[in-house]
Amino acid sequence: MAINLGKGGNVNLSKEAPNLENVLVGLGWDARATDGQDFDLDASLFMVKEDGKVPGDTHFIFYNQKTSPDGAVEHTGDNLTGEGEGDDEAIHVTLSKVPPEIQRLVIVVTIHDAEARKQSFGQVSNAFVRIVNRDNNQEVVRFDLSEDYSTETAMIFGEIYRHSGDWKFKAVGQGYAGGLRALALQHGVNVG
Amino acid sequence: MDLTRGQRAKIADLVPGGQQLALGVAAEGPGLVIDFACFGLDAQGKLSDERYMTFFNQPQTPCGGVRLETPPGDAAGFAIDLGKLPASIDRLTLTAALDGAGTMSQLSRGHVRFLGPGGEVGRFAFTGGDFASERALMLLEIYRKDGIWRTCALGQGFNGGLDALVRHFGGTVAEPTPAPTPEPPKPQAPPVNLSKITLEKRGNTVSLQKKGSQAHGEILINLNWAMRSAPVKRGLFGGTRSGGIDLDIGCLFELKDGTKSVVQALGNTFGNFWGPPYIMLDADDRTGTRTEGENLRINGKHWDEIKRVLVFAFIYEGTPNWGEANAVIRLKMPEQPEIEVRLDSPDSRNPMCAIALLENDGGAIRVTKLVDYYRAHPDVDKAYGWGLQWVRGSK
Repeated sequence: MAINLGKGGNVNLSKEAPNLENVLVGLGWDARATDGQDFDLDASLFMVKEDGKVPGDTHFIFYNQKTSPDGAVEHTGDNLTGEGEGDDEAIHVTLSKVPPEIQRLVIVVTIHDAEARKQSFGQVSNAFVRIVNRDNNQEVVRFDLSEDYSTETAMIFGEIYRHSGDWKFKAVGQGYAGGLRALALQHGVNVG
Repeated sequence: MDLTRGQRAKIADLVPGGQQLALGVAAEGPGLVIDFACFGLDAQGKLSDERYMTFFNQPQTPCGGVRLETPPGDAAGFAIDLGKLPASIDRLTLTAALDGAGTMSQLSRGHVRFLGPGGEVGRFAFTGGDFASERALMLLEIYRKDGIWRTCALGQGFNGGLDALVRHFGGTVAEPTPAPTPEPPKPQAPPVNLSKITLEKRGNTVSLQKKGSQAHGEILINLNWAMRSAPVKRGLFGGTRSGGIDLDIGCLFELKDGTKSVVQALGNTFGNFWGPPYIMLDADDRTGTRTEGENLRINGKHWDEIKRVLVFAFIYEGTPNWGEANAVIRLKMPEQPEIEVRLDSPDSRNPMCAIALLENDGGAIRVTKLVDYYRAHPDVDKAYGWGLQWVRGSK
């Protein structure tokens, strides 16, 4: 039975799923039911150190850079419209491969071209993030964000982080204006 | 609180108590005709009970939780009491749909506003620039999440117009005539009908025979009048008294089970088409802009449960000058000649006119022209032996 977290809640992954190694971070939202431009949502992941910054630009995993240099994180691809059942985008994480200097894996979702399309998360329904143990396909934890966003164009959905030797997951649900660019800058990525 | 598209808020943060509020809505653009409605949806976002679509032909939900009521200064509006809504209704979606040509990109301005006891508490404003080819919009929703009522400024819609909207809510758009109608039925223009019956003389009676054992269809009683050039505002704050006349249609009814009451805009007793008394009044024509006048509809499928209906008109505001009002009552039923009654008696003292009596005559509808003028409702009641208790009401 998966745990449902509310905003700000956290769970100890190492305790809930002992020997957790191969993780699927599933992210989902409903496709736009109305007419107008599609919502193109993108999942990204920042591998950050203690200071909240990436060690280098290669630790920013997104649609144009799908794997980290250490092989710990792999983005499985971009879904342009949010159609289809289940996860709309997925990121694979191999926990043992995450370098020791990386303290947190920050999972974000941003709306592509939100400003030009006059879109915001408030128009997106039923967004969620879930952590699945890929070795047995068991869902460990889920966070339904639908009441935690409004007019933002970028959201930190959650983060996987080290805590006293364990891995934990925190439901963050924090929104930002400025899209992926703002979030990338905040996490120390050199954005061209 | 100013809401932008996509913004969410708790209702309790807008109005004290978070239960009773009013929504005012307006949207306008050159040449655009826009109809507003409030859909009461289930947890799946579907209109599983069509009685929970509130619009001008169905001005309130069975529970009374949503009532069509236009705040001063808005084009339409809804009085909402969330506490009255049944548990099956989880979502109220306020919609706007174009009737006729155009797209929502042609809107010059529009808003949805929240009103509490002290006036406006929130507003979602939009313009045509927010839209492209949409012809029907979901403007705003009020929804229940984990037991708490919240709102979201949606501002999204469908190029396919009202049909697409109704399909989105799980309704079927039947061809050619949906029943019960998800789309606001408009009274058809009076056909050029040589068989039209005009009841000229008082006391004339015509009996509309049942065809075989079939029930009657919809009986439409339409009131239209000539003096509608100057829109008349009314109510507590609408003090403008122009020279126009505001005419209202209504009826006294008596059901076979002995139930007796009134259907009229005054006191917001708009009736119910699908349930007793099977008589319903269109939303009150407050602006004078609706060319089709006001309609009283009787569900002929349930005529067997109705004993008698006394149709009346009264002048709510303005000088009681019937001659100038040039009012015409039309009574239409499927496959029956149209009946027309002109209110042309030169009686300028009494603002109330008993127009016609519809009686259940062994299953047939017997129509008697009355055109008797009275001072007020109780006088009509007394004259026809209805026996209701009367108190002063207002809209």
